[in-house]
Amino acid sequence: MTSAVATTGGAAGSGDSSSDLADVIDTILDKGLVIDAHIAVGVVGIRLLTIDARIVIASVDTYLRFAEAVNRLDLGESEGKALPDLAGGKASAIEKAGETIGQLVGGGKERQRTRSRRDREED
Amino acid sequence: MSTRTREAEQESEAQGSEQSTAYFVYGVVPGDVTPTEEARGLGDPPLAVTTVTRSEIGALVSEVPLDGPLGEPDDLVAYQRILDGTVIEAPVLPLRFGTVLADRESVERLLDDGHDAFLAALNELDDRTEFIIRGRYVERALLEQILEDVPEAARLRDSLRDAPDDLPEQSTMDARVRLGEIVNQAVEATRTTDTGNLIAALEPLTVTAIERPPTHEQDAVHVAVLVDNARRRKFERGVEAVEKRWRGRVELRLLGPLAPYDFVAVPQAGQ
Repeated sequence: MTSAVATTGGAAGSGDSSSDLADVIDTILDKGLVIDAHIAVGVVGIRLLTIDARIVIASVDTYLRFAEAVNRLDLGESEGKALPDLAGGKASAIEKAGETIGQLVGGGKERQRTRSRRDREED
Repeated sequence: MSTRTREAEQESEAQGSEQSTAYFVYGVVPGDVTPTEEARGLGDPPLAVTTVTRSEIGALVSEVPLDGPLGEPDDLVAYQRILDGTVIEAPVLPLRFGTVLADRESVERLLDDGHDAFLAALNELDDRTEFIIRGRYVERALLEQILEDVPEAARLRDSLRDAPDDLPEQSTMDARVRLGEIVNQAVEATRTTDTGNLIAALEPLTVTAIERPPTHEQDAVHVAVLVDNARRRKFERGVEAVEKRWRGRVELRLLGPLAPYDFVAVPQAGQ
């Protein structure tokens, strides 16, 4: 018999996996099998809180934000100085991206470990 | 009244009366799957996750009060945790968040009616899990590339920069909107290219891939993939290779292993 790891509550304390509600919403919203309420018997119309699906619709606001971001690039920066600054910017981005993937790959393992430890402890 | 007493009362009430609670169905699993005893579902208070089994399949369920709304952050997190926790051990077909049936008999009926289709889907997904790959552009690198590639963007940027500071904001509106529009078009084109390249790079390592719509203006890639458990390490190394290639330009994240949220949808027009 397979024992499924349907773990217990206490979301906030369960590590990195639950730290980003936005990720949860993006992952599960409007996904999964839909049971046809007209065919299935006993479907209850329970009240669901409205969850905003984050979708990207380009608008004038979008354009203005992009324009502002482009203009920000120049702040306090002449053409001559742009190159060193650019290099600096890229170096810091590398570091940041490295951290991100490191957390991810490591995070996945950590998450599994957390799960199995939780199971053993039977909390 | 202490919280503890109130919860205990609610729980006994929930178990005793069919009318005050209903069955929240998380997903469909093979019939030999049982949740761990301490597993709790969503709702307040969270009640035990159990299975309703019919022949070779079962449904992961927990009772929820009928009067309270569902969809608090904790509910969403609990739903995903239960499904993602299950898929590590056994295949599971997630049902859309909010699938609630009146009673146990309705759950049994659902399983009976869909038995063969559910079973076929479970076999299809056996030893496979979903991952989501998300990438966000590094803003500075993205915008500088666009200014380099698109002369009109650079020209507009220059004209805006050289405009006198005391000019009313409204007078540069057209130029700013046009600049942003060009940037937006370039971002969309870059996103299409990057998404195609990512899917192609991972294609030998994945069963299938689905492009998800961007949820942020600076999203670079948003892709769900189905991966054979046996090839998971290879897949993860494949993602790392892409991350290395894009470093400094795209911040890449890998979410998973997840229940196959993106790979159970009933085919619909436009999907």
